[in-house]
Amino acid sequence: MAELVGVYAASHGPLIIRNWQNLKPADRESVSNAFSELGRRVNAARADVLIVISPDHWINFFINNLPSICVGVGEVNEGPNEPWMKDFPHREIPGHPRLAEHILNTALDHDFDPSVSHRLILDHGFCIPLWKAGIDPLPAIVPVILNDIEPPFPTVKRCYAWGKMLAAAIASFPENLRVAVMGTGGLSHSIGEPTMGRIEEDFDRDCLGLFESGKEHRLIDFLTQRLPTIGNGASEIRNWIAAHGAAGGAGFELINYKAIPEIYVGFGIAAWNINGR
Amino acid sequence: MRDYWVSKLFFDLQNPAAANEYRAEPKKVLDRYPLKPEVRAAVEANDVAYLSRLVNPYQLRFYFFVAGMSEEDFLRKIRGADKEQEAAHG
Repeated sequence: MAELVGVYAASHGPLIIRNWQNLKPADRESVSNAFSELGRRVNAARADVLIVISPDHWINFFINNLPSICVGVGEVNEGPNEPWMKDFPHREIPGHPRLAEHILNTALDHDFDPSVSHRLILDHGFCIPLWKAGIDPLPAIVPVILNDIEPPFPTVKRCYAWGKMLAAAIASFPENLRVAVMGTGGLSHSIGEPTMGRIEEDFDRDCLGLFESGKEHRLIDFLTQRLPTIGNGASEIRNWIAAHGAAGGAGFELINYKAIPEIYVGFGIAAWNINGR
Repeated sequence: MRDYWVSKLFFDLQNPAAANEYRAEPKKVLDRYPLKPEVRAAVEANDVAYLSRLVNPYQLRFYFFVAGMSEEDFLRKIRGADKEQEAAHG
């Protein structure tokens, strides 16, 4: 049977790449160290497959066809096509069709109705954490696109349930496979709106405290109430919530948090201690 | 409410070849999209505040990046968009 061997979350702000040289040295060091620690943990977990949950930043989908959730079931997905991601070392990224299709079927059994894609372009949301964390060798990636970009969004409660469903799918997959889960994006940020550049550090710290508390209902209520009131980028915390659900809502460990104006995000990296559940 | 065709224009300009063509001959590219006259005028005038009401914020930011507006200029205009909308609505 498959085994869940790690659960992680990481910010993916594009300016981590595009504005790297303009970060203060202390911020560069902080971001580098956090990604290195993430990479150390992911590499140590020796996952055969990494399920990455990220939004699609208008690369695969448009408002003529915009799924709430899409599972990538293809043998291969494509690397990022953003010009500033040209140095990302993988142009094609192997998937894991058998596990992906099992996730799809498990989702249907759990009353989810996800969309499906046999070939996705994995944009910076997927690839910045993989790249900056130095995950090597890259495991097969099962991409899950969760719409955090264009309203209406899936509810926070539903995202948590999606994560729990992922854990059930992994546990019931009938092959010996080491599987990890990573949610990407967040924490607070605001893009293309009047509050652009604002980081809500108090919100982020309250949110992180609730992740650590393990009180899932309070965390879900907090985000359900607060996400509509702050910058649009914080919506990506839904991917952290899905990871939290996959981890059973416990064991959250913050690796690093820092509000970094030069990259517009409350930068966060976390892992879940799944052995202590 | 999104304006479909200006959103489609911004979406299509993610293609580097399309973006290059747009930078070289914007009117020729705009002619391919059935934009409402006031929307086309806003695009041609770089009216960030007006367009911010019609498209997804990520697409808005991306478009002005492709169109060559500096980050500083975009930030100044988008941060002023609230005030412009308040003024427009009295």
